[in-house]
Amino acid sequence: MKNRLRVLRAERDWSQADLAQRLEVSRQSVNAIETGKFDPSLPLAFKLARLFETTIEAIFTDESQG
Amino acid sequence: MNCSTNTPAKRRYMWRLAVTGLLYILFLVLAVWVFVHHHPTGPLAWLLALLPALAIIGQIAAFGLYLAEEKDEFQVAIGVQSMLWGIGGTLAVTVVWGFLESFVHLRHLNLILVYPLFCILCGIVSGLLHLRYR
Repeated sequence: MKNRLRVLRAERDWSQADLAQRLEVSRQSVNAIETGKFDPSLPLAFKLARLFETTIEAIFTDESQG
Repeated sequence: MNCSTNTPAKRRYMWRLAVTGLLYILFLVLAVWVFVHHHPTGPLAWLLALLPALAIIGQIAAFGLYLAEEKDEFQVAIGVQSMLWGIGGTLAVTVVWGFLESFVHLRHLNLILVYPLFCILCGIVSGLLHLRYR
């Protein structure tokens, strides 16, 4: 699944480790989500949305929909 | 808070793994020593033979607890993937070995070796997955 995590992070000048600390997950997890290798669960997606003060749809894009 | 892969649940798992590993060595040494020097029979022989296996069951339970306690869902996914590959690989190796043993009289595979084989395969896959997602 495509996402805008890298952009959202850059806007706040956060490293992957900073975001990982705020989400209470490992940096490896943030990297896997950011690179689209791992899709987060709904609770983690909501946590990301709350953290970036936006919606899940504004962060993640469903590639199967044109 | 922790942003390394060494999460609190993983630290507890490593501690439990160390304890059960130590128990395994102690039970194994004890069982071998008693069998060599005292040749036990009956229920005592059964108990001594089962002690090292109980420690290994403890290790399996420790991994189950880790999966239940780990809050980082990505680390859980890696753990589950490693375990599935470990189980699949162990089944594949043992079934192939079993047929070879039955039909071409390959050397007998001691079932004690199945768990170490599983651990080795899990370790290899876990290492590869961590490299992939680092």
